[in-house]
Amino acid sequence: MTEVSLRSLVKRYGKTEALKGISLHVRHGEFVSLLGPSGCGKSTTLKCIAGFEEVSGGQILFDERDISRKLPEDRDIGMVFQSYALFPHMTVAQNLAFGLEMRRVPKVEIAERIARAMDMVQLSAHAERYPKALSGGQQQRVALARALVIEPAILLLDEPLANLDAKLRDEMRGFIRDLQKRVGITTLYVTHDQGEAMTMSDRVVVMFDGQIAQAASPEEIYDHPTSERVARFVGNANILDLAVSPRGDGQLDLVLPGGHLLRVERPACGAGGGMRVMARPEQIALTEPAAGQIGGRVAKRYFSGRHVEYHVETDVGPVVVVAPTTHAVREGEAVGLRFDPQRLWPVPSAEAPAEGRE
Amino acid sequence: MKRLRATFLILPAATLIFLFVVLPYVTVLVMSFRAPADGQPYGEGFSLAGYAQFFNEGYYAWSLPQSLVLGILTTFVCLILGYPVALHIAKASKRWRGLLYGIVLSPLLIGIVIRSYGWTILLGNSGVINSTLRQFGLIERPLPLMYNNFGVVLALAHVFLPFMVLPLLSALQSMDPALGQAARSLGAKPFTIFRRITFPVSMPGVQTGCILVFVLAISSYVTPALVGGMRVKTTTLLVIDALIDQFQWPFGSAMALILAVSAGLIVLIFARLTAMKWN
Repeated sequence: MTEVSLRSLVKRYGKTEALKGISLHVRHGEFVSLLGPSGCGKSTTLKCIAGFEEVSGGQILFDERDISRKLPEDRDIGMVFQSYALFPHMTVAQNLAFGLEMRRVPKVEIAERIARAMDMVQLSAHAERYPKALSGGQQQRVALARALVIEPAILLLDEPLANLDAKLRDEMRGFIRDLQKRVGITTLYVTHDQGEAMTMSDRVVVMFDGQIAQAASPEEIYDHPTSERVARFVGNANILDLAVSPRGDGQLDLVLPGGHLLRVERPACGAGGGMRVMARPEQIALTEPAAGQIGGRVAKRYFSGRHVEYHVETDVGPVVVVAPTTHAVREGEAVGLRFDPQRLWPVPSAEAPAEGRE
Repeated sequence: MKRLRATFLILPAATLIFLFVVLPYVTVLVMSFRAPADGQPYGEGFSLAGYAQFFNEGYYAWSLPQSLVLGILTTFVCLILGYPVALHIAKASKRWRGLLYGIVLSPLLIGIVIRSYGWTILLGNSGVINSTLRQFGLIERPLPLMYNNFGVVLALAHVFLPFMVLPLLSALQSMDPALGQAARSLGAKPFTIFRRITFPVSMPGVQTGCILVFVLAISSYVTPALVGGMRVKTTTLLVIDALIDQFQWPFGSAMALILAVSAGLIVLIFARLTAMKWN
């Protein structure tokens, strides 16, 4: 049973602050992703937890024990690297044995545990192969097995899927998640791929500029982002400038250009300051011009097989709508758009320049 | 068509190798079996006299182990001295790396004769080191720093160190830095990481460096001649002696071939022993 707590973690390189006070609690067995653009501090956070970077301030606790001054080799962590970092001069079995030898596990037990670990990642047939002779996906699984065979307190994964091709990446997502659940190990996963973070995690921690922007379940992050920047970074988002007026009962009135009034829940965050409204592309319905709450004209239409993406010019600016392929609207046609008030989400408007969609 | 063009492109190099490597070797091989003669380089017909003389006369025969030991010692010293240097440069920041690189290469900028002569000034019986020690009354007789294996190995190691450091450096630089971190995360202490990960993974560089230095050391002439002062009798010294002073081409050729084959065998054995299945 291991819980990980970060308490106002600070990391400085010279004068630049890479981490500006990260606080996070990870429950036992929880799968938490650190998600953000490059340079946001997610990898630095992981390196601090692993001990490869010394913290400049704050604490790292494993089950209430402060380990932030311990050497990496004494922290009892399993780590998987982006490059896999398999020892090239050792066979798969020798790679797996290394950590156990360091822990002075008896030879007989080493053999047993390696056999079990290789079975777990379905690589028993490759025990005597050298890493070079394995495919990228197989190397990845060896790296996972090597990190898990020592039965560490926590598992750290640093962009482990970044070097795999798209199809294999999708397979490995499920594989890693299933394995993690089976083993029940507390896991921190660093990625810049929001799809990866969403599908695998119990909780996603979105980071920008060395700070945590939001830490919540994938659903919460997607439906109720706490800022415009999070909304744009996770999935596609239409951010609309609408007239927002607060009501006394904890709700907000949104006024659309055509005069339609929408009543939405008011989020806990961002009481003061300007508000904008987030609408996810698949939550907007495409209608006949007359039936819509606002009108517009289809500027671009992209067919992807699974759905169609429409770029619609409206009075509130360009709006992206994702619709089922049964819709047959051509470019240049006039359409109406209907919003579901339940799904609209007000966000505090961003001061900083918005992140590009990924 | 493509293959034809490739063949065409290696033609100049192939011609050069044939003219200046294959042909001379064949000539030396044939010459080594020629009969000896007085007053002229070689006589009529063929004989094994050159080979017989080498192995029968201890004066000559002992030069072979002397040469080989010198080569092995020099290689070993270069490896011991060069590895930490390569490790350090590999870990240095980009700004420092260029400067350190230059320092490592700097011995190559000075001619080998001058460098060897420089060592005789330092190591001689009335050289800088011995006269200084004597002045301070630390020694009464000069220390034997020259005219022995010690002096020659020292000077050779100085000359050939870059040939060890460069392959080591390239092997260490191409090593994934995450390997060390992975080993640490698995519980390994720094020295264990060096012993079980860094050194074995850099083995291709160790192999190349060792073979380069050994081959260069064993075939060196100027440094053993100057620093060894004819008292460290290597086979190369005797080869030159036989060819130029004694004017005995068959004998000289036989000795040259014996040295080349022996060195080749040692390189082969070394390569076998350090073979890497994983590479």
